[in-house]
Amino acid sequence: MITHLSSPVTVNWGITARCNFVCSHCFSRLDPSEELSPEEALRVVDVLAERSVMFLNYGTGEPLLRRDLFPLTEHAVSRGLKVTMNSNGSLLDAAAARRIREAGFHSVGISIDSAIPSTHDAFRRMPGSFEKAVRAARLLRAEGVPLTVSSVVCKVNHGDFPALVALAKELGAHTIDLHNFKCSGMGGLNKEALDLSPDEWRRFYEAAVPMRDREKGIAIAFDDPILSLLGAEAMGKLVAGSVCGKLSLYIKPNGEITPCGFIPVTIGHILRDDFGEVWHGSKVLEHLRTKAAAGKCSGCAKFSSCLGGCTARAFAVYGAYDAPDPHCWAGDGE
Amino acid sequence: MIVPKRNPDVVWRLEKGLHEMAWDKARKEEEYEDLGVLTLMVKGGIHQLNLVGAEIWTRINGISSVKKISSEVGKLFGWEDGETEEAVLEFLKGIAEQGWVTLNERAGREPAPMFPGTRKP
Repeated sequence: MITHLSSPVTVNWGITARCNFVCSHCFSRLDPSEELSPEEALRVVDVLAERSVMFLNYGTGEPLLRRDLFPLTEHAVSRGLKVTMNSNGSLLDAAAARRIREAGFHSVGISIDSAIPSTHDAFRRMPGSFEKAVRAARLLRAEGVPLTVSSVVCKVNHGDFPALVALAKELGAHTIDLHNFKCSGMGGLNKEALDLSPDEWRRFYEAAVPMRDREKGIAIAFDDPILSLLGAEAMGKLVAGSVCGKLSLYIKPNGEITPCGFIPVTIGHILRDDFGEVWHGSKVLEHLRTKAAAGKCSGCAKFSSCLGGCTARAFAVYGAYDAPDPHCWAGDGE
Repeated sequence: MIVPKRNPDVVWRLEKGLHEMAWDKARKEEEYEDLGVLTLMVKGGIHQLNLVGAEIWTRINGISSVKKISSEVGKLFGWEDGETEEAVLEFLKGIAEQGWVTLNERAGREPAPMFPGTRKP
């Protein structure tokens, strides 16, 4: 079991806070951060490369709105980083797909939340966005760029995920990431309308995990530590609980470092602080790595494998890292 | 001869500091086997190798045979050649089942060992 890596395996970086969408679940829409300059962004890459970070993922905002996206990525690839990004696909035309391949992206995720166009468009609050996302996915595959489909599981789509998986396969994605809804940012404001109840989460995973285990044509990935309630793991057996602060960190558009995008607690700055000292010395990260059972987690037999579930959700709802995951169904009348 | 080759889709790194720490423990004859010193990411899953696994993994280059890798690793840890080759092969078969490497049978002889004073052709 990993307690301390020499640096994060993955850094999720919000290279821009700007976005042409106003999705109802967005965690960063309410963040007014300025973005780093192109020169500063190159320095960020150097810091991460010197620390042997393996994966650099551009999330937050729409990466294609950043004008230096391709030179920045070329620099990162030349420094040995595997670069991925998540995009809504709306700006991804044939020329952009070609530049993505040329820049050396390891993989690109396109957000598609339902196989039903109107459902996707309503969730993304952008008419026509489904069609553009599907077109973007096809253009990427035509260029030979490894594709993932990225979906946020919530009220609007949890019942029809098999059709979504089938669509992702048809588009040629190697993986579909079924992200669990998190009540941070806009997601917090729209929690009542979008979040599932613990029992609905249980039923979703009871259907989705067996599908993952038998599916051969595409990898179905979850990032939810609550899966350990079903004896399944989200990321292999290497870490218990959330991966935030154990395998990954998040960098905000302005360079501030947080444990993850959904935990808005600044623990340092990528250009002003020593990255290694932040990773090894942050009291917040130490807390996340050594969570104590609280509330209904106390005495729960699953705690050693789930470590209280998703820390971001617990923090967003209860304001405490050690609080039980609000999605957890253990002990709820079972 | 059997020549292992890494799956190019496996992304990996040596853990700076931990690798040195494990060697320090090994030299002092302290427990080092449970310390993960090399991290691999494959098919969305993350895994670690201990010091012995890492020393084998870093020698896999698609050219060196199991015999050559075993010989080098055996020398590092002061192990007998025959036992080392068997253990290394078992390890490689295990990670081949995981899809991290392929084991290819190649025709040809093992290169003759280089002795001190021998000049390369």
